[in-house]
Amino acid sequence: MRALRIERSLARFAAARVMPNHRPVPVRLADIDPPELPGPGWQLIRPLLSGICGSDLATVSGRSSRWFEPIVSFPFVPGHEVVGETEDGRRVVIEPVLHCRIRGVEPPCVACASGHTNHCERLTAGHLKPGLQTGYCRDTGGGWSLALAAHPLQLHDVPPEWTDEAAVMIEPTACAAHAALVPSPSEGMRAVVIGAGTMGLATIASLRRLRSDVESLIAVAKHPDQRVLARELGATVVVEPGELRRAVRRTTGSWILDNGQLTGGADVVYDCVGSAESLAEGLAVAAPGATVVVVGMPGHVGIDLTALWQREIRLVGAYAYGPEPAAGGRHSFELAAQVVEAARLDRLVSAAYPLDRFADAIDHAAHAGRRGAAKVVFDLRHEKRR
Amino acid sequence: MIGRVFPLARPTWPGSVPRPPVRKALGLAYDTDWARSPGARAGRAAVRDLVAAPLLKVIAAPETRGLDRISHLDEPAIFAANHASHLDAPLIVSVLPARWRDELFVGGAADYFFDTRVKAATFAFLLNAVPIERQRVSRQSARVVETLLGDGWSMLIFPEGGRSPDGWGQPHTRGAAWLASRTGLPIVPVHVEGTRRILAKGSRTLRPGSTVVTFGRPLRPGAGTDARALAADLEQAIAALADELGSDWYTARRRAAAGTTPPLTGPESRGWRRAWALDERAGRRGRARDRWPR
Amino acid sequence: MPRPGFVLEVDRSTPPILTWHGEGFRLEKLPAGRSRVIYAPEPLEPLGDPDEEIRQALLNPLDCDPLPTLLFPGMRLTIAFDDISLPLPPMRRPDNRQRALEAVLDLAAAAGVDDVVLICALALHRRMTEAELRHAVGDRVYDAFAPSGRLLQHDAEDPNALVHLGVTDQGEDVEINKRAAESDLLVYVNINLVAMDGGHKSVATGLASYRSLRHHHNVRTMRHSRSFMDQDHSELHSSNWRMGRLIAASGVRVFQIETTLNNDAFPSQMGFLQKREWEWTARDRATYLATTRSLALAPPRTARSIFQAIKAPHSMTSVHAGEVEAVHRATTAMVYRQQLVPVEGQTDIAVFGLPHLCPYNVNSIMNPILVMCMGLGYLFNLYRGKPIVREGGVAILSHPTPWAFNPVHHPSYIDFFEEVLADTTDPVEIEKNYEERFATDEWYRHLYRTGHAYHGVHPFYMWYWGAHALEHLARVIIVAGSPRAVRRLGFSPASTLQDALEMASDVVGRDPTISHLHCPPIMIADVE
Repeated sequence: MRALRIERSLARFAAARVMPNHRPVPVRLADIDPPELPGPGWQLIRPLLSGICGSDLATVSGRSSRWFEPIVSFPFVPGHEVVGETEDGRRVVIEPVLHCRIRGVEPPCVACASGHTNHCERLTAGHLKPGLQTGYCRDTGGGWSLALAAHPLQLHDVPPEWTDEAAVMIEPTACAAHAALVPSPSEGMRAVVIGAGTMGLATIASLRRLRSDVESLIAVAKHPDQRVLARELGATVVVEPGELRRAVRRTTGSWILDNGQLTGGADVVYDCVGSAESLAEGLAVAAPGATVVVVGMPGHVGIDLTALWQREIRLVGAYAYGPEPAAGGRHSFELAAQVVEAARLDRLVSAAYPLDRFADAIDHAAHAGRRGAAKVVFDLRHEKRR
Repeated sequence: MIGRVFPLARPTWPGSVPRPPVRKALGLAYDTDWARSPGARAGRAAVRDLVAAPLLKVIAAPETRGLDRISHLDEPAIFAANHASHLDAPLIVSVLPARWRDELFVGGAADYFFDTRVKAATFAFLLNAVPIERQRVSRQSARVVETLLGDGWSMLIFPEGGRSPDGWGQPHTRGAAWLASRTGLPIVPVHVEGTRRILAKGSRTLRPGSTVVTFGRPLRPGAGTDARALAADLEQAIAALADELGSDWYTARRRAAAGTTPPLTGPESRGWRRAWALDERAGRRGRARDRWPR
Repeated sequence: MPRPGFVLEVDRSTPPILTWHGEGFRLEKLPAGRSRVIYAPEPLEPLGDPDEEIRQALLNPLDCDPLPTLLFPGMRLTIAFDDISLPLPPMRRPDNRQRALEAVLDLAAAAGVDDVVLICALALHRRMTEAELRHAVGDRVYDAFAPSGRLLQHDAEDPNALVHLGVTDQGEDVEINKRAAESDLLVYVNINLVAMDGGHKSVATGLASYRSLRHHHNVRTMRHSRSFMDQDHSELHSSNWRMGRLIAASGVRVFQIETTLNNDAFPSQMGFLQKREWEWTARDRATYLATTRSLALAPPRTARSIFQAIKAPHSMTSVHAGEVEAVHRATTAMVYRQQLVPVEGQTDIAVFGLPHLCPYNVNSIMNPILVMCMGLGYLFNLYRGKPIVREGGVAILSHPTPWAFNPVHHPSYIDFFEEVLADTTDPVEIEKNYEERFATDEWYRHLYRTGHAYHGVHPFYMWYWGAHALEHLARVIIVAGSPRAVRRLGFSPASTLQDALEMASDVVGRDPTISHLHCPPIMIADVE
């Protein structure tokens, strides 16, 4: 079975860091055996489309935080944004979190017991090798291959009329939907979304479709195509990165002080980039008492947190999905499906590559915005199978 | 050597013929024409620009005010200033715009600056000084000065006739006004403040400080102007400039209009009250520094 | 004897023509046989003793009692004067304002007037800095009045310092500076650089509030001011005149002083800037080459500071004082004498070389909005009769048009550019949808009142200033500007003048006729 695999090799990660513009060295196209089913009930899934996510890019470019070291198991096959087929022909999307119930941990941890599997405390226990999600675990395999092993609890059926492109957008949109529901409701909310890649756009779409309290939504988009999409998906104002503060000032009626800091700002800020600059900018445009939601994976950043203290800003992360109390306990995946359908997010899938061209695919994904793309996927529907 | 032989060389004086006594023309009679030859002018400009002006910048830090009042003048002028220190003349020369500075002579007391050949030559060279009397202009010096003014030279004159002994001004002589009304040239009142603190009359040490040179609006002698009235106007104008520096321009104008400008000659009283009043007026004294023996 | 203005018909032997290009200039070859270059008259002879002339004007005013008879002890005297926007470039010391202020104050001092306040009549412009005020009024006046708070800058947003005098028969609110309105005598000191300045506009605009200004600073008025350099055909002036008469009728006694300048705009070292190209000497050519070469190497900041440091050797050519309208008639005649150039007929294309400076970026950056205002507001409107370019014609502006703003002086301009122009460039739409919000923005108001910022609504006025041109022209092309910024303005970028002429032929056909306004120095084309 052909698969893209990441092996633990410090030299390779180091090389990737030093030469970011070269072939993604830690990844190799290998011929491996399909994963063995880890237990009863598990099924072998044949991926159809498998997305390339920002966290995948961080891994293959060696920029991933060392935080992940104990909660992944090498070598692994990446790919957690997967739409695939079971052996009996069901079309499913995978909910990739490998929590207690999947790992066979009994009794489940407190988080899993309450249903919030994204907070699972036993990511290294049970009968599976460590791994926070499918696509980071040695035993389950991942989406960038022709087969992976999945637990029945991970499977969400896809309605027959849906395209594969729409289905593959469900997992990332579920993250966005989860993030969109983090801040508590407040009428006349003024939101800012920094970044207009897949996560940024999905967040804009989710905010508009899952919340009724968003009055204005300022989106920061670097590239022309992103600007058009951001506006179509529901941003009231779309600005370039350098123009954010002034746009927030205009919308919120605050002042700009001599050093460029705002006296007020937005009620909610989504950082869908996860860099030091975007976080700092996010804090800079957050009103006193506002919430800054970190959607993009930040890694190691250095920023001034004085504003966080002085303005009592809540800095919160948004990871994965689960039942959403703010939406009556409905699951993020269910909400995401609703958003994907309503906002036609299948249009964010802009390019598909076969496994052979993985280097091109990863390069395209890494420069998606500049090249007018959002989500880049591997198309495994035409791969030869044995 | 051929070069040393008459007629190429100067003739030698026969020992049998008595030499006539050399006429030492000093004082008023000292002829300063040589000081306006191209060579002397170039030398003076060099000394002024390379030595005097930079040095004055350091020890007197002159601030110049009111040049805009004379910016439209396109003719020679008589600059008339109050006088408290030897620094006054070089200081004014150093801050004057080029069009007057390059063709300027200074009226210097014949009895003080022109009493020996060395002094006469030195001041004629350095300041382009021309000898005049202190109290009234005689026919001889008037002729020289008028010729120069007629040739397009400007003049710097100190109508008080000498440096102030106590810091207060002295009554003006009418020389400047008289020259102006004879030549029809404008008089520019100039007020110099601060030079006395740097180098007072009788003082032998320089105490670096700051100075202000203020130029006033030119006074023009009208047809048939009385030199006496013009002299009074000039004295009043310089006093008003001093007032302007001590208070502000509008207050000074108000007092001038009301005739209440504080006179530069100071109070009538004598002794300590006079000195006391002076300190009041000066306003911004430099901080005194103790000089301990080392 | 200075020569009058001149219209050169370009032929094959005509040398390339100097064309301003922001902080620099280019030599542009114009097509022979169908182009003409309009040169300003040479500088008029200055007054010999301006201080004495001012004094005489004050003692023998037009249609008014001599100034000394209007001054008495115990009176409230207010003297208002023009702000940093005049003259251009700023003139060498002493400034006309200083001379006139000192002359007035001399008489006031003689009359024993104590309660004197000076007000910089800046309307909605930015407040001047100490250095700028010192330059305008002179150190003596500054030191006499500023420390005691008697040298003020008009604040159009201070409710306590404004008074509403009434409404004109056309329904225009007249609200002006309270101190000025409640004084026994208001003296206004003008520098009339162009024919638009002065008259009733001095007080009715310079000392007015936003509430009052919006009645004539709007799209409709500007479209009906053809041009605002010609008072008889300017709605801007009609409105100001109505207001001025109401101000007079409500008992405000105005003593107007207007001074004119010759157009000697550049120091003698840069004399080639105001010479006709075929008269350039070897020295002029050498200076031109040296200047352009070194400017090409200099970073924009450096070039800007070099140009902003230029002080014009402008000299006063006349001074009139007395009743507003009588004074203004005499002054306007003098301005026209210096600036009018008779020109025959219109052409298909007008070429305007934009200099580094317009009235609103002294000591600042000429941002894209000011480029538009300078080109289509000012240079286009330097006409009497008809514009030099026909209706449906093309204007070609030459300016680097950088996407750059001075955040201190022009904060609302940045938002205007980023937000408003990204939406629409139609003046009517802009006025309808955005003006109110910008005009009442708390932050802009704060910066205008306490910092050195133009009022929030000021960029709108810049855009309205060009409204007449936008309506008249079929296309506007900017040569060698930043393409992004030019497109945001709604204009077409071209890399060279030749390209621009080529692009213009889409609109005006092949072999169009061309006028090149060789400005600065300032002139007014008297188009028959």
